[in-house]
Amino acid sequence: MDLFEPTRQAFALLVSGEPRLWGIIWVSLWVAVLAIGVTAPPAIIAGFALAKLRFAGRRVIVVLMQALLSFPTVVIGLVVYLLLSRRGPLGAFELLFTPWAIMLGYIVIALPILIVFTVATVQGADPRIYETALSLGAAPSRAALTTLWEVRFGVMAGIVNAFGRVVSEVGCALLVGGNIAGLTRNIPTAIALETSKGDFAQGIALGMVLVVLALGINVALASLQGRGGLE
Amino acid sequence: MRPPLFALSALDKRFGARVLFEQAALQFEAGHGYVVTGANGSGKTTLLRMIAGLEGAQQGTLAFRDAQATVYEYPEAWRREIVYVHQQPYLFHSTIEKNLEYGLARRGIDADQRRIRVREALEWAGLSDRRELPPHKLSGGEAQRVALARAKLLDPALLLLDEPTANLDGEARQQVLELVTALCLADHTVVIASHDPEIMRLAILDRMVLAGGRIRME
Repeated sequence: MDLFEPTRQAFALLVSGEPRLWGIIWVSLWVAVLAIGVTAPPAIIAGFALAKLRFAGRRVIVVLMQALLSFPTVVIGLVVYLLLSRRGPLGAFELLFTPWAIMLGYIVIALPILIVFTVATVQGADPRIYETALSLGAAPSRAALTTLWEVRFGVMAGIVNAFGRVVSEVGCALLVGGNIAGLTRNIPTAIALETSKGDFAQGIALGMVLVVLALGINVALASLQGRGGLE
Repeated sequence: MRPPLFALSALDKRFGARVLFEQAALQFEAGHGYVVTGANGSGKTTLLRMIAGLEGAQQGTLAFRDAQATVYEYPEAWRREIVYVHQQPYLFHSTIEKNLEYGLARRGIDADQRRIRVREALEWAGLSDRRELPPHKLSGGEAQRVALARAKLLDPALLLLDEPTANLDGEARQQVLELVTALCLADHTVVIASHDPEIMRLAILDRMVLAGGRIRME
């Protein structure tokens, strides 16, 4: 198979600003960014609490979160589908086959990633950070914020990881979004569809966007780490 | 007779089967300096950490000014007046100036006042030219001086210094010693855990010895 011609067409498609293609990219981006934006604050707080506090059931929750990391996203999609389907407990909201359904799936996928990364980062942090903040007069909540700020690159790595996972996953988005053109079709589901139809140019173009996104986010994180004196 | 500034009584602290303190007691008078000595593992650091509310114990009663508490229910308000400096202090990943400002900001002191007090503290520690530097550019001695200045400018009622000269030698050790001596002479209530002979010889410090699970005044 000739790879050169579809790749050339892919570049041409991206440069032409073809609305259908950029619409797919836009759906992917806003749904993923909003899902991470909504999930990150409570997940980071929960991760900090799981790392620092000692309470009954803490270990069970951490193990459960770790187990959820390796859950296939299509299974998560299936669970969300059943929840949102007409006869499901959330059926009344009529969210199935909308971007909000995909977002709900993304939240379920991202939550354990963010929690597990935060737990690992805070547990690995120097315990003197929290103690120094407390001893200088910070309230426990402020000392927690100071600790998270000191280990921000570890926490940000969790956010980048979660974003990378949701923006590239296909199983959940396909099941609960339905791959509806102009509404729920995003980059991974469009790649799957266009490739199955033999339209490699669009698949390659969208794949390139995903790769550029992943590289861009990681370069930005590495650059921030450098500026933070952690190189 | 004036009541002590801080008192600790009926302190029991064990790590598993190892008994560190058993019905131990101590008290600190306002404006006095103390050096806490004892063999390695006798509990000097643990004692200071318990006084600062950073570590609990099986049993013990604390009294600070007119208030009383237990070692496992340390009052948050005391943290504003009892400041602990680690043996190897942690400096936040920011500038030295921001590190010094941290405690003042937590006390609601406005930005102008903070700048003035930080400048004075940096001068006191001989670190005015290091104001804008990040902590990783400092030597061990300079980091210790920043930590002392950061604690001193909060004007705590009780200042706890854990082995301030450990891991330092030569000029760095001498500079830190001078700052510690200045703190003790300046009417602060300072408690220093140390086995540095030069600190132990300071005539202005009362000596406390940890041995056999008890705290003995000498």
